[in-house]
Amino acid sequence: MGLIRLVIFGFLFLTAIYFMISIFSRSVRREKLEDRWDEKHPGGDDMAARDAYIKEGMVEYESGLRKKLIWLVFIIPPIIVLVILYLTSFYEG
Amino acid sequence: MQRIKTILKVILFVLVGGLLHYVLPQHDIVRVTSTEIIRMDFTSFNRLFYAQADSGNAENTTRDMRLINTERKKTFLLGFIPRDATGVMVYRNEDTGWIWPPYFKFDSSNLQAEAAALISNTADEKWAVITHYGWRNKFLSVYPNAVGIREVSGPDVRIIPWFNIFFFIFLIIAYFFIRAMWRQFRERSVDPLLEDAGEVWDKVDDHADAAKAQARGFIGRIKAWLETWRSKK
Repeated sequence: MGLIRLVIFGFLFLTAIYFMISIFSRSVRREKLEDRWDEKHPGGDDMAARDAYIKEGMVEYESGLRKKLIWLVFIIPPIIVLVILYLTSFYEG
Repeated sequence: MQRIKTILKVILFVLVGGLLHYVLPQHDIVRVTSTEIIRMDFTSFNRLFYAQADSGNAENTTRDMRLINTERKKTFLLGFIPRDATGVMVYRNEDTGWIWPPYFKFDSSNLQAEAAALISNTADEKWAVITHYGWRNKFLSVYPNAVGIREVSGPDVRIIPWFNIFFFIFLIIAYFFIRAMWRQFRERSVDPLLEDAGEVWDKVDDHADAAKAQARGFIGRIKAWLETWRSKK
C-alpha cells in the first residue's frame, strides 16, 4: 500500500519537476538564440529573419540531446531510492 | 516591517534546521548493553514521532516495539567534537517502510539481531557505530530510530558523514537552480506582462493629462465636466 502511494505521488511530483525544467531549459535556449542573433546583427531590425533564426534554433533544440537529458528526472530518483533501500535494508556492515 | 521579516526568517530557519536535524542520519559511537521489547501505547502527542507498524503488518493503536539500550560516547556540536564522557542512550528500532522519512528500512528484526550480537560488558568491550535519525525526548517518551549498526575497533574512530556532505551539496545546488529558474521566469514571463501593463497605464495617464490641460479656467472646467457626461467614443 505504501509502495503504491509512493509510486503515484512520486510520479506526480517528478512530472511537475520535469515540466518546470523543460520550460526553464527552453526559455534559456530561446534567450541564448536571441542574444546570439543580436550580437551578430547589431542594430539590425529584420524581425522576420530573426524569428526564422530563432525558430530554426528551437527546432534543433527539440530534437537535441539536451532536451532528452531532462528525462533523467524520472530515472535518477528511483535509482537513488533503490540504492538507499539496498544500503539500509540489505547491506550489512 | 524589516523586523517582522527578520523574525519570520529566523522562525523559518529554526523550523527547517529542526526538520533536517530530526530527519538526517547521525552517527553515535555506542556499546550495546541490551535489547528489549516494550509495548507502546501511543498518544496524540508522541504518535507523530513514531513510524508505522512493520511493513508487512496491520496498523493498530497499540503494538510492541524493539529498543536497543546502549552506553554512548558523548559529543559536542552535533557529534563533530568527541568527548571522553559517556552517557546512556536508548534507540527504538522500527521499519520506516515506503513512507516518511525516506530511509526505506524494512530490516528491523535483522538489525535487532545484529545489535544483540554486539552486546558486551565492561570486561570485554565491543564498540559499534549506530546510524540513527530522530530525537530522544523523556517528556514525550520518544526515541531516535536506529537505521544501521556496524562494529568498530574502538571508541575513538573518526566518522565522516558522507551522506550529509552530499546532501548539503545537493541542497545548495538545488537552491541556486530554483533561483535561476525563478529569475528566468520573472525576466521572460512576468516582466514583459508588467511592461505591457505599464504602457497601458501610461496611456491612461496621458488621457488624464489631456483632460487636465482642457480643464483650465472656469469655463474650461465646466466644459470638462460636461465632457464627462458625453458618451465615450
